[in-house]
Amino acid sequence: MREPKPESLLPLPAAVFHILIALAESDRHGYSIMRDVSARTGGKIRLSAGTLYSSIRRMLEQGLIEELADSPDPSSTDERRRYYRLTRFGRRAAAAEVDRLNGLVRQAHASGLVPGA
Amino acid sequence: MRGQAFYKALLHCYPAAFRDEYGNQMFLMFAEQLGEARRTGRPIDRAALWGRAAWDVLAIAPREHCHVILQDIRFTLRSLAARPGFAAVAILSLTLGIGANIAIFSLWNGLLHASLPLVTHPEQLAMLSDPASSGVWHGDESGDRDMLTWDEFEQLRDRATSFSALMASESSLDSWQLRFQGSDWEEAHGRMVSGGYFPLLGIAPAMGRLFTEADDRQDSPYAVISYDYWQRRFAGSPAVLGRSFTLRQAVLTIIGVAPRGFIGETFGQDPDLWISMRMEPQVVPGDDRLHDVPPEKAMWLHVFGRLKPGVKLARAEAESNAIFKAGLEQFYGGVASPERRKELLDQKLKARPAAGGASSARGDFSTSLSALMAAVGVLLLIACANLANLLLARGAVRRPEMALRLSLGASRGRLIRQLVTESLVLAAMGALCGLAAARLIFAVLAGMIAQGDQGFAMNFALDPLAIAFTLAVTVSSALLFGLLPAWQATRTDASAALKEQGRAGASLGRMRLGRSLVSLQLALSLPLLACAGLLARTVYNLQHVDLGYPRQRLVMTAIDSRTAGYNSERSAVLFRDLLERIKSIPGVAAVTYSHNGLFTGSNSSDLMLAEGYTPKGQDDTGSAWDFVAPNYFSTLHIPLLVGREILQSDDAAAPKVCVVNEAFARKFFGGRNPLGLHVTMIDESVAGRKGTAYQVVGVARNFRTNSLRDKANPRVSLPFSQPHADSVKRANYLIRTTSDSAAVLPAVRQAIQRMDASLPILYAQTLEERMAPWTAQDRITAQVAVVFGISALVLAAIGLYGVLSYNVARRRSEIAIRIALGAQPGGIIRMVLRDTSVLVLAGILVGGGLTYAASRWIASQLFDVAPQDPLVLTAAATVLVAVALGAVYLPAWRASRVAPMEALRQE
Repeated sequence: MREPKPESLLPLPAAVFHILIALAESDRHGYSIMRDVSARTGGKIRLSAGTLYSSIRRMLEQGLIEELADSPDPSSTDERRRYYRLTRFGRRAAAAEVDRLNGLVRQAHASGLVPGA
Repeated sequence: MRGQAFYKALLHCYPAAFRDEYGNQMFLMFAEQLGEARRTGRPIDRAALWGRAAWDVLAIAPREHCHVILQDIRFTLRSLAARPGFAAVAILSLTLGIGANIAIFSLWNGLLHASLPLVTHPEQLAMLSDPASSGVWHGDESGDRDMLTWDEFEQLRDRATSFSALMASESSLDSWQLRFQGSDWEEAHGRMVSGGYFPLLGIAPAMGRLFTEADDRQDSPYAVISYDYWQRRFAGSPAVLGRSFTLRQAVLTIIGVAPRGFIGETFGQDPDLWISMRMEPQVVPGDDRLHDVPPEKAMWLHVFGRLKPGVKLARAEAESNAIFKAGLEQFYGGVASPERRKELLDQKLKARPAAGGASSARGDFSTSLSALMAAVGVLLLIACANLANLLLARGAVRRPEMALRLSLGASRGRLIRQLVTESLVLAAMGALCGLAAARLIFAVLAGMIAQGDQGFAMNFALDPLAIAFTLAVTVSSALLFGLLPAWQATRTDASAALKEQGRAGASLGRMRLGRSLVSLQLALSLPLLACAGLLARTVYNLQHVDLGYPRQRLVMTAIDSRTAGYNSERSAVLFRDLLERIKSIPGVAAVTYSHNGLFTGSNSSDLMLAEGYTPKGQDDTGSAWDFVAPNYFSTLHIPLLVGREILQSDDAAAPKVCVVNEAFARKFFGGRNPLGLHVTMIDESVAGRKGTAYQVVGVARNFRTNSLRDKANPRVSLPFSQPHADSVKRANYLIRTTSDSAAVLPAVRQAIQRMDASLPILYAQTLEERMAPWTAQDRITAQVAVVFGISALVLAAIGLYGVLSYNVARRRSEIAIRIALGAQPGGIIRMVLRDTSVLVLAGILVGGGLTYAASRWIASQLFDVAPQDPLVLTAAATVLVAVALGAVYLPAWRASRVAPMEALRQE
């Protein structure tokens, strides 16, 4: 499969970036992603089901994440849940987005828009 | 639980594919969030959750739908690219079908329904003159008044209270020779208008100023030019303001430029400039059209009014008529005879809505255009039937694919959606190409109209109505040709279709559908072909109608002596001298002239009394007449049945004589010998009736002067030098040449110039050129109909060929077995042809019925050919059958060449 440059996807939509962060530590199902995002943002961001799965659909197509064939958690009783994992390409895209954001932050400091750290 | 059920229902707002994939996950997630919110016990949490769900439906669901549609379109484009032949045929036939529809619709809409461009609130406009009339009419009128005089306009303008304003414009567009300082003479089109013209239409200048009411009350040697003329002639230079030019006896200064796109009050005309009506005496010297001097009125104006809010057209009409009648009473007050006065006062104005402005082309073309609209509609139907057939055949090929997708769980709705998207994409491409084609077709049509209506100019414009029409046509054609095949292709039993894979199998139902579509195409083609044939016959008949004299080697010209300042006496001398000059030109065999000429649009008729004839009513005593110079009949080669023609010796001093035509002699003299009988021409002036008696010296064969369609009417030819009415004002020269007529024209022009360089030449043409506008409308209609007929035929042939090829391919194994069992190639061909003949026969039968209806509908357009003309109808059917047989012969021949072993091995 052809792999586009990660830069071609930038800037990443906020929801996509949050999902990538949530999947960085472990494979998760949708509800778990939503809770992780909510926990990390102190409840400020609560992804709705539509936003979440619309993003997941697009991220699957773009190759940022993949769906796992089996549940990674053998103890899980709920077989209906579908799990997602970050791909290498997803990791590269996230890194590229971080670079982009870092660059922006540096510019903001350098221009005196925001007092430097 | 009710909340969960509701959320499940909400999921239906998402596309099926998305729902199938993620619906369960979303539901699970929502259920858990809902449980969580319930546990907190705070209603705000639940409200927030539902708020997010609602937001999803409003924002996310449409996005997902777009995504699916884009996916379908991408898929379609890929699959079309893989079958370029199919795509090309489909797009081409749609381009033709949709393009022709847009072009004819724009013309129809523009000509018959569009409002005047840039005019504010055109719906408030009313016209007190006849929108289809144009020209100048000196004399008197009765009944509905077509055009108004300047005096009448002024009375209406000053007294009518139903209108917030009134304006007058010259009904015809003039062709003027102008001269700017330091430049040569050049031609420009323009018209004279009253001061209220621009204010009434609500027009603001692009530059400078426009006329105002004040320009009616003082000398106003000014001109306003059109935006196009400004760009074309002056390259848009602002220095144009203040430039002066000479126009006949007037020197005019440009004071302003009209806004871009403004064409004025007459649809289909595009003037270069407008000048103030007050300049008429200098612009048309010798013809005062600003003052009605008894007994004559000069009727030459269109009058427009803007209705005051709340005033009904009927009230405005009544008020205008009251003012108009009062004016007439005053004008004709001096008429002695009460009978005559009553006749003269029997005139009235008719107020009409004038949002579309005046237009002569509108009336001429409305019937043809409606017929052409129907024809292009049929053409599009045929194109759609064709595409439906192609898609049906493709559907058959793709059946295993569809079956596979169905068995893998794709919903039928999803597949239909995919297939309909395919059709929509095809139709959209056809519409895009069709728009380009429409511009071309439109330009050709507008050019053709301009042949018949000089000065006609109309630009292709996509107004909202035309855009809506284009969209509607595109979508409905996509549904027409796409839905049925999609339905068929997906109406499939998965396992059966999969088993069939590898064989070009198709259900009987599908075959039947394809075959009936082909029959339908043939049926629709027949009326198009037949009507095209009937219209072509009409044009042929019109072009070959017996004029009563040979139309070849006849040249005509006319001069405007009045504008050059000649009075009646000097004009008469001028006419005679010019005749001698033209006679001496090499290549001229004979020359004569008459007052009205031939095919000039001018016609005269008057009341008269024929000796010994008792009129059967008031309208039974009229005859057309013309003043003719000596040798009129011999020059034109009009045979005299008895007696002699008008000669040089029939001058003012000689006894008054006339020549009547056959129709005159038959109607008024019955079986009597007309020679020696008298015709008394009645001149109706304000003073009363005056009769002048002429002795009939000859009877000429019927001949045509201004009409190709009408049957011959009574006509009397009077000597030019023995007029019964006011003195003769103009002469139209008729020149017989010995060889090529066009070659003589430059010499004729030269002869006139040498006589008096200031004499305006009204026209100099061969008779055939002169007559071209008379058949232009019929010619255009016929040409377009023939093109549509042929297109329909080609499309139908493609459809037939496609279905038959497919049919033969399907029956390959059966045919192979027949050949293996000893069937001869001829027998196989006959078998296939037999199979087809049913289709063709059914098509022709249904088509015959449609043709009957269609030909009756266009009957009024036909000339000298019956709507059910057997020759044309048989020819159309024969062409259709021949083309159909041609289209099926190739597949039949191919079937007869099937190699049995190879075909059976493939099974």
